[in-house]
Amino acid sequence: MHSLVTPNAWVVLRLPSDSFKLLQIVPNTIVSLGKYGTFSSNLIIERPYNLTYELLDRRAGQKDSDLRIVPASEIHADTIAEEDAASNPKEAEDKVVIGGDGVEFELLAENGEVIIRSNRETIDDSARQTLTMEEIEVLKREGTGAGKDLIAKLMLSHTGIDQKTTFSLAKYKLLKTKKYLKRFTVLPLDVPLLTHWMMTEKDANKILEMRNEAVSLIGSWSNVHFSESLPDTEGGRWLVVDETGGLLVAAMAERMGILHPSSDFNWEGKPEGPHREEAPPATSNTITLVHNNAQPNLSLLKYFLYDPTTTSPPCPTHPLNNHLHALSWLQLLKPSEDTTYSSQIETLSPEELSQMKSAKRGTYYRKLRRWTRTTHIVNSTLNGGFDGLAVASSMDPSSILRHMLPLLRGGASIAIYSPTIEPLVTLADMYSTSRRTAFIQAPPASFAELDDEDRGVEWQGDEDFPLNPTLVLNASVQSARIREWQVLPGRTHPMMTGKGGAEGYLFTGFRVLPAKGRVEARGKFGRKKRGDDKVGAVVKGEMVGEEGVKTSNTEMAQDTTEVKSEDLEMAGL
Amino acid sequence: MTSHSSPFLHPGAIAKTDRLSIVHLKRDLQTPTILKDHDEDDEGYSEGKVVNTRFGSFPHTTLIGLPWGAQVRASKVDTGSRGRRGQKQEKKQPQEKKRKRDDADSTEHPNKRRDSENGDVAISTPVEGKEEKEAETASSGFIHLLPPTPENWTSSLPHRTQVVYTPDYSYILHRIRARPGSSIIEAGAGSGSFTHASARAVFHGYPREADVNGTSKEEKLGKVWSFEFHEQRHQKLEEEIKEHGLDGVVQITHRDVCEDGFLVEDQSPKADAIFLDLPAPWLALPHLTRSSPPNASLGTSEAGTPAANGKAEASTTPFLSALNPTKPVHLCTFSPCIEQVQRTISAMRKLGWVDIEMVELSQKRFEVRRERIGIDNGAQRGLQTTPASVDEALARLIEVEGTFKTFHETGEKVEGKKDKGNPNNREKILESLVERKVYKEGNLVHRCEPEIKTHTSYLVFAVLPQEWSAEDEEKARVKWVVKIRTEEGQEGGEVIGISRRQLKKAARQAQKDKAIAVTATANAEAAEKGTEETLEGGKEDKIEVE
Ligand SMILES: C[S@@+](CC[C@H](N)C(=O)[O-])C[C@H]1O[C@@H](n2cnc3c(N)ncnc32)[C@H](O)[C@@H]1O
Repeated sequence: MHSLVTPNAWVVLRLPSDSFKLLQIVPNTIVSLGKYGTFSSNLIIERPYNLTYELLDRRAGQKDSDLRIVPASEIHADTIAEEDAASNPKEAEDKVVIGGDGVEFELLAENGEVIIRSNRETIDDSARQTLTMEEIEVLKREGTGAGKDLIAKLMLSHTGIDQKTTFSLAKYKLLKTKKYLKRFTVLPLDVPLLTHWMMTEKDANKILEMRNEAVSLIGSWSNVHFSESLPDTEGGRWLVVDETGGLLVAAMAERMGILHPSSDFNWEGKPEGPHREEAPPATSNTITLVHNNAQPNLSLLKYFLYDPTTTSPPCPTHPLNNHLHALSWLQLLKPSEDTTYSSQIETLSPEELSQMKSAKRGTYYRKLRRWTRTTHIVNSTLNGGFDGLAVASSMDPSSILRHMLPLLRGGASIAIYSPTIEPLVTLADMYSTSRRTAFIQAPPASFAELDDEDRGVEWQGDEDFPLNPTLVLNASVQSARIREWQVLPGRTHPMMTGKGGAEGYLFTGFRVLPAKGRVEARGKFGRKKRGDDKVGAVVKGEMVGEEGVKTSNTEMAQDTTEVKSEDLEMAGL
Repeated sequence: MTSHSSPFLHPGAIAKTDRLSIVHLKRDLQTPTILKDHDEDDEGYSEGKVVNTRFGSFPHTTLIGLPWGAQVRASKVDTGSRGRRGQKQEKKQPQEKKRKRDDADSTEHPNKRRDSENGDVAISTPVEGKEEKEAETASSGFIHLLPPTPENWTSSLPHRTQVVYTPDYSYILHRIRARPGSSIIEAGAGSGSFTHASARAVFHGYPREADVNGTSKEEKLGKVWSFEFHEQRHQKLEEEIKEHGLDGVVQITHRDVCEDGFLVEDQSPKADAIFLDLPAPWLALPHLTRSSPPNASLGTSEAGTPAANGKAEASTTPFLSALNPTKPVHLCTFSPCIEQVQRTISAMRKLGWVDIEMVELSQKRFEVRRERIGIDNGAQRGLQTTPASVDEALARLIEVEGTFKTFHETGEKVEGKKDKGNPNNREKILESLVERKVYKEGNLVHRCEPEIKTHTSYLVFAVLPQEWSAEDEEKARVKWVVKIRTEEGQEGGEVIGISRRQLKKAARQAQKDKAIAVTATANAEAAEKGTEETLEGGKEDKIEVE
């Protein structure tokens, strides 16, 4: 996958400011890093990922910089030296390391006299303002001396370095380092980085503020993985509702091994004006995307060289071509009202075809392909049997489940993401134990009158039971967040600031097949006599059900009865 | 008896014999079970193998062949014939209470169980020849039958160590780029929670018999190279992996990785990703380098070589790296203590790992419930309640005041309407559910589950880029010629002594001359402007002068 930077690949550049730039590395162009400088794109093509480069000072008369690979030893030199110093306090006293490569700096006056050195020495007041802001600007513009020299000079000029504590020195150094060092790192663009970039640099709302924690949890709980059919066992098919511009689809595709075009795909070998390869839709290891508009919004997939909207796709053999099946809610719920689906293309005889003008014949074939593909996708989706459902949408999740549940096979995994918890709380409440118990004990008439066979599919819910509460097991709501730490010698602590906004929540559950007829639960039906209990104590009557979705009422108990958690199981579940 | 596929990866539509399935009793209570069509262990049930739970007994024969997700009723099983209960493996639930329950059932629903006391016979019957009795449905109790997933395996597996739970392993596998086709090293394997999750992540097909030794093929298929130095844990996990049909995807080696590294039978795992859940990860790191330590004196100067603390491999055998030489390798270590983290990161720096980051992950699970507060709350009538509002409180005070007065004036005690019977009995609860629809009453609220894991471990991530020699760089520079624009448009032109104005003029002239040589640019600004904007639309097109 990501070994060397391929020509025209999208990559991420991490800049000294710790900000990220997404860009496509087109051969023979100049890459601009804004104030940091410019360099030839050819300098990073077919080089390894995760390398850190330094923009060298431009040679006289040249507009662009050459690059130097910064070895890891140099990247860490500062910290390692600091660590060594900490474990060897004696030596440390007369050594201050600056600049990232262990070199000490000294500042010379015009006559060559050493004004100050970066190690412990007395500095007289005249040396304190050695460099003015203007001088710094000149240094930067002229590019004499790499960024690190500049930093050294800055530090020396500021005030007597020795007068600062090691702690504040390190802080100072860090700030300056990030501001001026001309280093950047080339990272491969994949889902974790794209997610990070969207969250931190772009409009997080476009991806519903879906952090990497959420992305990874959705993947696990919808049980998405590579799964092609075997001779005797069918492979996996997943249903998706994605309003994150394709990020969710990308995340699933990455887990299924169909996001990154194979590395033997050669950009340069791309034929002129290629057509998307018309491989027949795959039948396993597929993603079926149900979208709101006539066309799905998958704009983020272009970073993985998949673009369904163009006739000259960047990668004609992209695995998503036949593994991603998109259909609209109209095509799913009322296919007969969809123009493409309902207007069957007549099959023409060879004679008729041969009489056509070639342009017309082309159109005919295109229409026929489109119709065949659409009907195939719609019909196979309607056949159901999906292995999992992943949702990241701002629509009411119950409206999605109402139509998706019948398409899931028994045991299928369900994962629904929401930036806020409220919609998921409402959804979980539809599967509360007490609601399900009521449903089983006294099913609504509109449900009871349906045949056993039709119930799963046809019943659309009612006011009391917006969804059939017996079709989902283990309805749960969770969230997960990381906390980042700084780990440095003597200065290890959690980061002081982070990104606020939506926390991000996940609803999970399993699609199950309720047994036909009434099923009685079993459990101890008991109440504990607690004669010695203080009368009037607050007892929480909790009816804990199978799902752990609890109903409770807090009250002042008069007697000593405690409602046992199994009551509800007894009562019918 | 190796199956050709794993129920974790290819569950199929139905539960099958000899395959793992998860018997779901209730939330957080699941029993993993390998379904058997006959009782190999001869536990003495005439129905064959039985899963016993506090919600009833479930002979395997009633589960095999059912579609996944099916709700299954309990069966009446012939407990009387069980002769050797209690000495069997830990997989079964403790059954003391359940037995009583069964007995209670049998008095309520008399059946022929009592007459068929044939326990001795059943035990002495050879397994193969035994005829399993048709199971009879019990009046209550059920389970759901689920296909195994790393998630439900993690929450139900037999714990032999601390395990890595779903939120942590999901995030870790995501961050270390474990994907279909990846080769991942895992140490120590412990109870196998992470092992199963990583098997799902890297799976890209089962090796066919012929390919087993062909490493090149295996790489594309994805593989988990798992290490565990504890004899019993290693053995147990190896059995499980086989039973779960994952033996083509996971290879477990009995090994102390801090001592002996990660090569397996002199072969390199060529790892793309590494997960270390060990007490001292820094001792394992020197075995995860790209090249052997050239000389102790070189120390940290060379990226990716062990520092002085790394044990040098025996110099007689040529060095073989456990890492994939052509990819950046992603590593995560998992340590509960901050001191471990510091030592680990310190070792990482010296060994040339970059992009070192440390995070901890906290998960919360929420309870969703209806909170009903108020005097008139139906089911619990007769209980004194907290008023829902000041109005209710006032009304009640007035009522009490009235009662008090009556008593004083007339000496009569006003009998409160005593509710007869327990308001919490089955009928009352059902009535409140069905008639009063209490599931719709009150405020819908959520709260954190009562006990949360506030700390699992610290996650340290790092990357080791692939090696890139000066020679490699030279070759690349020959193939991809470096384009550097000069101020005056002449390659290598001497520019010293020319004024700024002259330079600018020269540059303008050069631009005119070579106007055709305009190429698209990849500039950061274009990417910044939004995903819609094409490169060509970027404002800062750079002009290339040749
Ligand atoms: C916390 S457990 C791992 C749990 C595992 N990650 C899981 O999810 O189930 C740590 C395991 O590492 C093993 N271990 C410790 N040091 C080891 C070493 N040097 N080589 C191999 N295994 C080791 C221990 O025996 C123990 O089983």
